[in-house]
Amino acid sequence: MSSSSSPMQSTGRKLKLKSKDDETFEVEEAVAVKSQIFKYMVEDGVSNGPIPLPNVNGKTLARVLQWCQKHADPTITEDELNKYDAGFIDVDQAVLYDLLMAANYLNIEELLKLACMRVADMIKGKSPDEIRRTFNIKNDFTPEEEEEVRKENAWALGP
Amino acid sequence: MSIMSIIQDMRGEFGSMSRRGFGVKSAYGMRSRSQRVVQDSSVGAIHALKQSCWANLPPELLRDVLMRIEASEDTWPPRKNVVACAGVCRSWREIMIEIVKSPEVSCKLTFPISLKQPGPRDSLFQCYIKRNHSSQTYYLYLSLNRASTDDGKFLLAARKCRRPTYTDYIISLNSDDVSKGSSTFIGKLRSNFLGTKFTIYDAQAPHTGVKVVTKCRSTRLVNLRQVSPRVPAGNYPIAHISYELNVLGSRGPRRMQCVMDAIPASAVEPGGVAPTQTEFLVSSVDNFPSLPFFRSKSMRTESFLSGNLSGESEGRLVLRNKAPRWHEQLQCWCLNFNGRVTIASVKNFQLVASPENEAAGHEHENVILQFGKVGKDTFTMDYQYPISAFQAFAICLSSFDTKIACE
Repeated sequence: MSSSSSPMQSTGRKLKLKSKDDETFEVEEAVAVKSQIFKYMVEDGVSNGPIPLPNVNGKTLARVLQWCQKHADPTITEDELNKYDAGFIDVDQAVLYDLLMAANYLNIEELLKLACMRVADMIKGKSPDEIRRTFNIKNDFTPEEEEEVRKENAWALGP
Repeated sequence: MSIMSIIQDMRGEFGSMSRRGFGVKSAYGMRSRSQRVVQDSSVGAIHALKQSCWANLPPELLRDVLMRIEASEDTWPPRKNVVACAGVCRSWREIMIEIVKSPEVSCKLTFPISLKQPGPRDSLFQCYIKRNHSSQTYYLYLSLNRASTDDGKFLLAARKCRRPTYTDYIISLNSDDVSKGSSTFIGKLRSNFLGTKFTIYDAQAPHTGVKVVTKCRSTRLVNLRQVSPRVPAGNYPIAHISYELNVLGSRGPRRMQCVMDAIPASAVEPGGVAPTQTEFLVSSVDNFPSLPFFRSKSMRTESFLSGNLSGESEGRLVLRNKAPRWHEQLQCWCLNFNGRVTIASVKNFQLVASPENEAAGHEHENVILQFGKVGKDTFTMDYQYPISAFQAFAICLSSFDTKIACE
């Protein structure tokens, strides 16, 4: 579960975090170190004040910390964890985006992987146009390039 | 100034005045509305910003997602998802094209250009060809299931066009539209009148800097990035195939020779490379040199390097068919097709690399192309580096056509 080489004992020490919309969270060190950012801070010795996180809002941070809590639990089985993850990441696009960005910013490898896999799953099975519509991406090909893309995709779908 | 032109000028002025009037009127009319429009657009802007956040995904995250897709969709039909991603927008395309490696490296066919690139080095791509007699059309598929010749990914189609002094096989990416004028035209195979000699033509230059000699078009150095507007889909001869009777006449297996003009003989030596096309030229209405649409940095370097080998001094790769052995007990000529060919036919063959001067040395053991009958209208085709699916298909088509040694 945990990828850290030295298992963190529960020292009871807590980290204080502050989201960009000024929500504060207290979280045990053993849970917080799922994030590489916090891991380095803890190893280097943190300040007493709450750590500001200007790139993560309170709602998202709450979710992320919930995930970290679950994944730091030594009693949970791999099966239970997989089930939890499947449910956790089954969210709407806006929430998924926020989770993806937060996991990236906080450098939480497992959560980032989970979110990326979910995005990949949302893309699979769609045509280029459907992908664009799902993610509201602009088609910036020239008409000639668009024609090449059309030919490629027609061939890929096969007769 | 003539009277007519003065009147015309005045008419023009009146026209613009009335237009202006309309314009002014509508501005007044819309004043109250324009404020609302401004408000709506600012809300719209916020809404649009939120919605397009995916369009601004950090490149490393987008790359992570696209790499996952490319790695997991490694067989057909799911591999179409890789092609779909490369068709979303320019940034997605650039990343996906950089991730996807050529068939030689990845042992996978992905984009249509894969069909013009050398196959894998240490394994064969197993394909099959289905013949439709009535429509004189042949279809090439990548085999998806070893046990079946009905489960395949469509690759190329070819249609036979018989002319008084020659026969053409038009080769296309589109199974429904197999014509020279089609935008999916890849190249063709042309036979001479007797059906003893064939030339494979590529619709575009084999690689950068190649010197092209054509009989009917002008001789010039062709750069991949430049396309002369006056030349339609090109006609670049890339291989010459010839069939001969062997010394036993039609009682013995025929002799087949393929001179691959676009592949140096060194390609099959240790450390050798084969030219690799990296893109289909995007044909535009005005035929201006388009932006390189299909960019692959690693492949471009390879192509550039091998492109510098001059066609004159460097020997070309020659493929010859492996001589079958006479099996005394079975009283027939035998080749070991490793189970991939099950019906005896004079069309069946295995091609190996051979020194240009036949007397000069031994032929290689490695079978580069293998073709043979497994059903009434079904044939297997296995190929590998240094030839491409397109070249392999064209060579096999010549085996259908040649009349040499056919009982």
